[in-house]
Amino acid sequence: MIASRRWITRLGAAAFALALLYPLSAIFAHVGAWQWNEEVRGPALASVRVSLLLTTLAMLIVVGIGTPMAAYIAQCKAKERLLWQAALLIPILLPPLALGILFTLAFGPFGSVGRLLNHWGVVMTNSATAFVATQVYVGMGYYVLGAVAALDAVPSMLQKQAALLGLTPVKVFFRVTLPLARLGLAVALSIAWVRAVGEFGAVVVTAYYPSGMPVQLWVDLQSFGLPAVMPLLVIFLAVALPLPWLAHVLAQRRSNA
Amino acid sequence: MLDVQLTKRRRDFTVSFSLRLGAAQSVGLFGASGAGKSTVLACIAGVEQPDDGRIDLGSTRIFPPPLPLHRRPVGYLTQEPSLFPHLSVRENVTFGVPKSEAADPERAKWIATLKERLKLAPLWDAPASRISGGQARRVALARMLARKPPLVLLDEPFAGLDRQLVRELIDDLIFWSKSIGFSMIAVDHQSEVLMRLCPEMAIVLEQGKVVQSGTWSELCSAPATPLLRSLLARL
Repeated sequence: MIASRRWITRLGAAAFALALLYPLSAIFAHVGAWQWNEEVRGPALASVRVSLLLTTLAMLIVVGIGTPMAAYIAQCKAKERLLWQAALLIPILLPPLALGILFTLAFGPFGSVGRLLNHWGVVMTNSATAFVATQVYVGMGYYVLGAVAALDAVPSMLQKQAALLGLTPVKVFFRVTLPLARLGLAVALSIAWVRAVGEFGAVVVTAYYPSGMPVQLWVDLQSFGLPAVMPLLVIFLAVALPLPWLAHVLAQRRSNA
Repeated sequence: MLDVQLTKRRRDFTVSFSLRLGAAQSVGLFGASGAGKSTVLACIAGVEQPDDGRIDLGSTRIFPPPLPLHRRPVGYLTQEPSLFPHLSVRENVTFGVPKSEAADPERAKWIATLKERLKLAPLWDAPASRISGGQARRVALARMLARKPPLVLLDEPFAGLDRQLVRELIDDLIFWSKSIGFSMIAVDHQSEVLMRLCPEMAIVLEQGKVVQSGTWSELCSAPATPLLRSLLARL
């Protein structure tokens, strides 16, 4: 009786999971012969290059600035920590299109910072710099908040013991905190990566050129229709999905162990 | 020489404690659970900050201002071994040994002694996350002693270990304390463990206050409070 009830529950869970994964089956939808001629291929491959290179650069910046920030927040007292977390939530909660418009106004030729940057030759609209900066803004909050959670999960007594064994705070971070938090940090980075590489709403305003994959998909859909979109869509999923998925599965396995 | 005078406000009471302890001397902090014994050790170790007072270890001022943990010449062992789970037993034991001393033959000999006396050889290359609780305690003890700190703070480090092993560990600690010259402050809820580990002197805490100090025979013959009498009566 209990076993059969368990199987019914399991079937229900399987139906739920299938419903969630169902949209992926649309890759095999009948949309006609996929279009991959020179007119589509050239811009599509260029967009893959743009997305991979510039998102990687953006993630390096996110990790480089976000990790020390997360380490600082993780050791703040509750009130101060809440303040930083509230600030980091704002770019996460802003509707992407609104973020793109605000970003362009602030850093474009209309904003004082934008004028200053322009004066120094840094163009913040429709440029690689704008693309990277937008992705940094989009991904930073996700990474830092995830990294704070990962660093919080490291028992503070281990860090104190390491310090009492003569390690400076920097060495404690690199020899104890970072190795123990690495999977959580990888998960935080993977979320930031997925969010940044898939960003459309903000990037379409700030950096229509150089086009990344989401913008190119939109352009292809508008110009050529679904058959031209499908090859790039498959590449997009292959680029965006496997690494973050693996990081999450490993993290889940560890937390279930 | 350790010279401690500290007060630490806790939610329920204030801990007031003072102590002067010479090199290679030991003292046991005794009292009911929640009397403030662990708070005293945590304040000396630096994992908690006293609200007031002064702590000197030899010529080193530990508090105030609070000396950063990595500069405190203190070994601190708690009930929780706090091993680094991503490292092997060997890496844990040698964790605090500075790189400049890693190749020193004297240091290597000392590590080998700890490895042998604490029966760590069979686990030496095992991941610290895969060893038992009792083994982890021995590894934590070796890790703390590997640096030869001048002051060792022991907060119920033998809880859950079998009697024979506890007896051996205590004998080793006493021998090393005399030969290396480190002082010891120990807390344990088992008075027989504390008497064996710190036979010279005991300090009794109740509600954060020192209610009696002296030799164990003084404590046993004339306990200062009814609570102490009842605690010692269990012997």
